[in-house]
Amino acid sequence: MRTTSSSPNIASESAVPGADPLWYKDAVIYELHARAFHDSNGDGIGDFPGLVQKLDYVQELGVTTIWLLPFYPSPLRDDGYDISDYTAINPAYGTLENFRELLEQAHRRNLRVITELVINHTSDQHPWFQEARSSRDNPRRDWYVWSDTDDRYRGVRIIFKDTELSNWAWDPISKAYYWHRFFSHQPDLNFDNPAVIDEIWKVMQFWADMGVDGFRVDAVPYLVEREGTSCENLPETHEVVKVLRRRLNEKYPMIFLLAEANQWPADVRHYFGDGDEFQMAFHFPLMPRMFMAVKLEDRKPIMDILQQTPDIPETCQWGIFLRNHDELTLEMVSDEERDYMYDMYAFDAGARLNLGIRRRLAPLMDGDRRRLELMNGMLMSLPGSPVLYYGDEIGMGDNIFLGDRNGVRTPMQWSGGWNAGFSAADPERLYLPLLSNPVYGYQTVNVEAQRRTDHSLLSWMRKLIQVRKSSRAFSRGGIEFLQPRNHRVFAYIRTLGTDRVLVVNNLSRSAQPVELDLRAFEGYIPVEMFGGNPFPRIGRLPYLLTLAPYGFYWFRMRRL
Amino acid sequence: MAEESFLSDEFVSQLTAVGEVDIVVGLPTFNNRDTVQRVVNAILVGLVKYYPRQRSVLINPDAGSKDGTTEAVQAASIPDFRAVLAASPLRTMHVVSARYSGVQGESEALRMVFAAADLLGAKACALISPDLESITPEWIDALVQPALKDGFDFVGPVYQRRRFDGLLVKNLLHPLIRAAYGYQIEEPVGREVALSGRLASYFLGDQSHREDFPGLGAFEWMTTAAMAGGYRVCQAFLGPRVTVSRRSALDLNTTITDVAGSLFRCLELHQSYWIARQKCEQVPTFGFQPVLDLDPVRIDRKRMFQMFSSGVDQLRAVLEQILSPGTLEAIIAVAKLEERQFRFPDDLWAKTVCEFAASYHHSVINRDHLLQALTPLYRGRVSSFILENGRAGSDDVERKLESLRQEYERLKPYLIENWNRNVR
Amino acid sequence: MRELVISNLRGALTAVTGILAEAVPRVLAMIIIIVAGWVIAWIAEFILRRLLLLARFNRLFESKGVTRALSVAALPSPSEMISRIVFWCIWVAFILVGINALGVVALQREVSDFVYLLPQFIVALLIIFFGFLAANFFSRAALLAAVNANSPSPRLVSGFVRFLILLLAVTMALERVGLGRGVVLVAFAVAFGAIMMGLAIAFGLGGRHVARRILERRFAAGGERKEEKDEEASHL
Repeated sequence: MRTTSSSPNIASESAVPGADPLWYKDAVIYELHARAFHDSNGDGIGDFPGLVQKLDYVQELGVTTIWLLPFYPSPLRDDGYDISDYTAINPAYGTLENFRELLEQAHRRNLRVITELVINHTSDQHPWFQEARSSRDNPRRDWYVWSDTDDRYRGVRIIFKDTELSNWAWDPISKAYYWHRFFSHQPDLNFDNPAVIDEIWKVMQFWADMGVDGFRVDAVPYLVEREGTSCENLPETHEVVKVLRRRLNEKYPMIFLLAEANQWPADVRHYFGDGDEFQMAFHFPLMPRMFMAVKLEDRKPIMDILQQTPDIPETCQWGIFLRNHDELTLEMVSDEERDYMYDMYAFDAGARLNLGIRRRLAPLMDGDRRRLELMNGMLMSLPGSPVLYYGDEIGMGDNIFLGDRNGVRTPMQWSGGWNAGFSAADPERLYLPLLSNPVYGYQTVNVEAQRRTDHSLLSWMRKLIQVRKSSRAFSRGGIEFLQPRNHRVFAYIRTLGTDRVLVVNNLSRSAQPVELDLRAFEGYIPVEMFGGNPFPRIGRLPYLLTLAPYGFYWFRMRRL
Repeated sequence: MAEESFLSDEFVSQLTAVGEVDIVVGLPTFNNRDTVQRVVNAILVGLVKYYPRQRSVLINPDAGSKDGTTEAVQAASIPDFRAVLAASPLRTMHVVSARYSGVQGESEALRMVFAAADLLGAKACALISPDLESITPEWIDALVQPALKDGFDFVGPVYQRRRFDGLLVKNLLHPLIRAAYGYQIEEPVGREVALSGRLASYFLGDQSHREDFPGLGAFEWMTTAAMAGGYRVCQAFLGPRVTVSRRSALDLNTTITDVAGSLFRCLELHQSYWIARQKCEQVPTFGFQPVLDLDPVRIDRKRMFQMFSSGVDQLRAVLEQILSPGTLEAIIAVAKLEERQFRFPDDLWAKTVCEFAASYHHSVINRDHLLQALTPLYRGRVSSFILENGRAGSDDVERKLESLRQEYERLKPYLIENWNRNVR
Repeated sequence: MRELVISNLRGALTAVTGILAEAVPRVLAMIIIIVAGWVIAWIAEFILRRLLLLARFNRLFESKGVTRALSVAALPSPSEMISRIVFWCIWVAFILVGINALGVVALQREVSDFVYLLPQFIVALLIIFFGFLAANFFSRAALLAAVNANSPSPRLVSGFVRFLILLLAVTMALERVGLGRGVVLVAFAVAFGAIMMGLAIAFGLGGRHVARRILERRFAAGGERKEEKDEEASHL
């Protein structure tokens, strides 16, 4: 049976409706790269016009916000995070006009768009660096961090330890060292220089004026360096953020800032400030623990990290995710936990990269539909705005042999036909090869096939997002953990005013019984949210539930 | 009407919540508040350090403590393992306490632990005493590893003993079990043991003789039943065993009645096995045993001798019903020796024990009385042993004990002959 | 006169003949009953003995030491004893029936008295029997306990226990059969009380230091029986 897609509801006005400055709290974010989504001109590389052609799909999925990975001009030695022009579009993806069109069409479909703000470093091909390195007297010299020796900032950890040996690189042109926390071709900008801050602000204004709804700020903790410190999370970095946020608030109150700060929750908390820094920050440490909990069949890892997570200002929100364009980072876990994750999820050493695992969600779950549903169910019900990585909604696979993190950045699989419906080009021209193995290849896993059935993963994900959006308790509510004796069951209550949702997750591969202490809700009737069926009324005795392997329930608690 | 279960609803409910596990650690308690917290901490640290990925549970059957022991067990969690180890636990740590009727004794507690191991599908089950002062987390690894990873069914302990410590084990239990069952197991009444899941299930099923083995007898029964049942047996070095134990308050008479009586009952239970057994094999021993000559335990040798010689004199009529005339005469003869010349030779001692075992089997007199009659003879043996080995080094003592063991082995046919004969 | 004498003689003869005619069948009946009873009792004993041997009846008592105790007392084994008891019970019953069959009233009264007394007598015998067994058991237990506790004069203690139990058993047995009931009971009470009083005085006065030390050891915190403790702690 073919599922007919409803025609997009194109509003008469192009502006995004609603003036709620806290809209990001209700967001369901869809992360994608224009290059990987859809190719409109047959050159083998996805582009903005191609993305526009697929906006209906994105809207049908039910997400509310698109997060675009870097699309700026770049030598592409770090997949676009090495930027050589902040106010232009990489010609391979289109033009500024194409981008404006994308914004307009997205807004018509009530979809917001957030873009990357990679301000910690530029490409060494950026004109600013080219000028800065040309001479020690150049006005832009001080836009980067230079040193005559590589002795400064001793002991600071190397992030890309698989490829870099030092945070200093020798510039043969100006005969000096320059500081880089990432690849050596990505020199760090010097945020002690007010001119740099001003220039960055100009960049932000450029895109804000065009209609972008938010910025995901890359590599925030590393903006400022100081001798004798770890050069991460310094007070001066927060000052920079405060300045940018203040200016943004004054001129663009609806635009939000999302921090990428791979730190412990207590350290990330500082990036919210008193509501005067980032509105949102990713909760990195939660993510590996979700994977750990499912393997251990024990809620302890998740409980521990969430109980360690401090409260954040009312206007702020965590961003939670399962996978993204990078490796599944294992920086914020103990050595024992990292070893466990490697043994369980990356036994093949080829899957390991930079203290992480470069695999997509579906292969990590062994293609187990039930585990995929459970993980996505937790993603959509835990506190925070969920971020969905493109392709995970259909269970796309990966290719660890493509080098770096390219294995999780392969073309979107639209159909079983020519180039998976991604591009009309010759297959050899594609920016990355398609997945073609019998399990995850595009012939087996694609949007077209999954659209046709109600029980496909795609259909299920749509339903999941729809149910999530039916209650604001998920997006804005508080959380109270239940701790039943059965440690394989992870249960909690999301509450916003009188709206209460009980979430019960079975982390185990076997059926489980659980008795929940719901005395505080005596008299309530739990209504299962996917089927709409009422369950027995809650009494004084422990509430007994049985759960299928990896099963979960969402109950709206009704008092009638 | 359905048979009533020995597991309470609450206990079963707690086990259900725990679910399937890999390791069960049993810790029976009764009024051990002073020591149990440290023991529980050592167990938890041991599990986190050596088995961080395995699912484990600590089962604490309690005989009705009134001093807050179970509360101490539940409260004995370690708030921050990083203070003790370089790791945090990956998994939830489970501690399940349950009450049992102390009337049935420790065998009931063991039964609950076996039931938990069986129900939860445990691959290894360790038993630990609550009054240990010398336990370290390494004990958990030493006991559990052979059962969990190396395929052994029974893991007995090896303790680091002071000289003249455990003389009843060295002079009676160990050599008799070695000769009869054909396994050189050091500590047949070791209270820290580990079992494989399948052996725990077997013990759970075979509870028909539970009441015959009170107290430490249960551990003797487990050790001998494992050997007689053809299970893979090994032992692991643990270290010195220091306890704060009320057992020390039990007098020697009661101790001998318990352990020797249990051993003789084991011989009855397994007679078809040990009578046919020909060989004697070494038991694999894991762990590194340091060679340390520890200070000897203080024993009043003279008092021992005096009680022996007066006992032989006073109990002659009783001993006539137990021992053969030749053996009794020989004992009477050595009892008459001067204290400094006194020797209770290995062969005479071994023969005495064999005849006692056979007489016990034939119930020549009331069995309790028979065991009590052994006590003064044991005192004589101890006195002689200390006199002979007072200045000897640990190597010499070990050699002497080895020759005693070989004497027992040599007398096995004699034991069998007496065992099978008709009553005099 | 001659006819009177002859008539009286004839009358006496007739009476005697009549008595004899009455008595002889009864005596014969008695003899037949007694002999038949013997035969039946013998058969019953034979069958029972074989059945008990086949069922290994004696083994039941071996573990309790009963067999041993009986042989020490020069008594036959339990199966033998029961067979013999059954034999005698059956035969005595037949004898009593036989005597009853004689029809002599006085004898019948004696028989009924005997029948009445017999159970008491049997109970008394049982009391003495079990008393004997108990005396053996407990005296040996006392002997062993005293030896292992290193008490002085264990044999004295053991003998004393045996004496007390036997005394009690005999008294109970005599009381059962009603022999000098009051006297025996009082004598026992006096003897028992005197013994206990004597012990109390001897221990309390003569052995008061010992008594104090024992109490101190029992109730003092730690340190008591130190030697014993050192000794005991090391054996396992």
